[in-house]
Amino acid sequence: MTASVTETVEAAPRLRPRAWTAWTAQMSAKFWVGAVIVAVYILLALLAPVIAPHDPNSQDVVNRLADPSWDHLAGTDELGRDVFSRLLHAARVDLTVGFLGALLPLLVGTAIGALAGYIGGWVDAVIMRVADVVQAFPPYILMIALVFALGQGAGTILLAFALTVWVIYARLIRDEILRVRGLDYVHAARASGIPRWRIIVRHVLPNTMSQSLVYFTTDILFAILALAAFSFIGLGIPPPTAEWGAMIEGGKEFLRDSWWLTASPGIALSILGLGFMLLGDGLDDWLSR
Amino acid sequence: MGRYGFVAKRLAVSVPLLMGVVFLVFLLLKVTPGDPARVVAGLRASDADVAEVRQELGLDDPVVVQYGKYLGGVVQGDFGYSFKSRQPVTSLIGDRLEPSVWLIAGGLLVSLAIALPLGIWAAYRRDGLADQLIRGLSLLGVTLPAFWVGLMLIILVALPTGWFPTGGFGDSAASHLHHIVLPSATLGVSMAPVLIRSLRSSTNRVLESDYVQLGRSIGSSGVGLIRRFVARNTVSSMITLLAIETSFLLFGMLVIETTFSIPGLGQGMVLAASQRDFPAIQGYTLLFAIVVVGVYLVADVINTLIDPRVEISG
Repeated sequence: MTASVTETVEAAPRLRPRAWTAWTAQMSAKFWVGAVIVAVYILLALLAPVIAPHDPNSQDVVNRLADPSWDHLAGTDELGRDVFSRLLHAARVDLTVGFLGALLPLLVGTAIGALAGYIGGWVDAVIMRVADVVQAFPPYILMIALVFALGQGAGTILLAFALTVWVIYARLIRDEILRVRGLDYVHAARASGIPRWRIIVRHVLPNTMSQSLVYFTTDILFAILALAAFSFIGLGIPPPTAEWGAMIEGGKEFLRDSWWLTASPGIALSILGLGFMLLGDGLDDWLSR
Repeated sequence: MGRYGFVAKRLAVSVPLLMGVVFLVFLLLKVTPGDPARVVAGLRASDADVAEVRQELGLDDPVVVQYGKYLGGVVQGDFGYSFKSRQPVTSLIGDRLEPSVWLIAGGLLVSLAIALPLGIWAAYRRDGLADQLIRGLSLLGVTLPAFWVGLMLIILVALPTGWFPTGGFGDSAASHLHHIVLPSATLGVSMAPVLIRSLRSSTNRVLESDYVQLGRSIGSSGVGLIRRFVARNTVSSMITLLAIETSFLLFGMLVIETTFSIPGLGQGMVLAASQRDFPAIQGYTLLFAIVVVGVYLVADVINTLIDPRVEISG
């Protein structure tokens, strides 16, 4: 019992401004490589309208399926659109959907999990049974059915993420509330009249925050991969919006002669993905050290 | 509680879970905008015709009654009728089962052939060069979209060599096998990274255990140590892991069948979505969820039967 108390006190590393330099020294090279990759992508996405050499949607049919050249670094697609410019603009769409697609489940799941742990009783029972049912579905299959049912578009894809991925975060926080409930310092806090919601905010959330952050980092990648796959099977963001998955799908017809149409969005996606994986892995190593 | 008691309890828990699954799938239709009766009757049907179809489909009944009817049908193996082909959804599923089974079997084989040696090797040479290389590759592997890997295999292997077809399923067993090589490789490669990572950590745990220390102390090492002391003890975590992987396997199957135009269940679901064939979508979703619940159940039961240490909590 006492052992677990000291564990909890020490388990949650938290950031204070003056600890920043100490923290940066602790992070592995893996973490920094990941962080730099992700930062570069965010920068490219933000600057896309400035640095893209062409309008991503302007067609030049005379120049369709052109090989890569100085004017068109990654060639042109079947409508003569500049692939390099489309890759840059796609980063905006993919990163936005990825970020929101990871953030919404985090917020929804944390709120629902806190509610389940806070109220307990039948509310907790119902929420957890619903979570069981949602988890019985293969993750992306339920999303496909939801996107299909609610109609295509970025909004419904985000909604589908929120409705399916929340379970992981809800379990995380609810289990932490149940675990902390029996600990001495929580008894002490309750005995001194501190309301339960404040105990959750002060003592439960900080403990789950770090694990949530690791999930969140890799969830951004999984949201981007899911979006790309949805676009590929025709349930993604409708054309002509540039999106990596949709670009891969668009190049499918021209594999033999214009392979870069398919190869380049996949490479762009994989490098960013590697960045997020390294970032998440580095965070995880740091938290479990 | 004895082992058989656990199995019985585990079975009993699955029943309400499956009822919940059916309810969620049923609910999907209710949140879909648009009138299903209108879809069935066709765009040019008169309002009277649409009303008749509504009556026929039972859409005028209270929601609870509709759910009861749907659940009753599912229990008897009736998943409803396709809006598009007017055939029972179960017969659509039956027609598409074989290619998917081939693909999943092939994908599992390839992924195990990659992951088993690499995962154990990485653990055995922990923090060595091999370990770091394998870890790096599996990290990269997680980020590659399966459909993109498939298309790259077409570009890099199928087109230059002409050895493999780029799509379809063929019409004889030998031809099926020929058509399934690249899709299986794609599925295997996309599943292997996660398997390697988990296998590496579970093998590490086993390597640190007392009985392996004992094995080392009596002079066992290398392949002999792995075979006698390590491999057997990672089996139960492998089974659990394969169960978890099934969820991802089904989605991989769907995407890869679309990439290689394989007439399987996954392609069926994608096709149903593009045709707005609601009962078919419901049927596929339900089928995949039932498969996942079933696989978890089987994995738990097998683990209970082969591993005496498995204890039941909750």
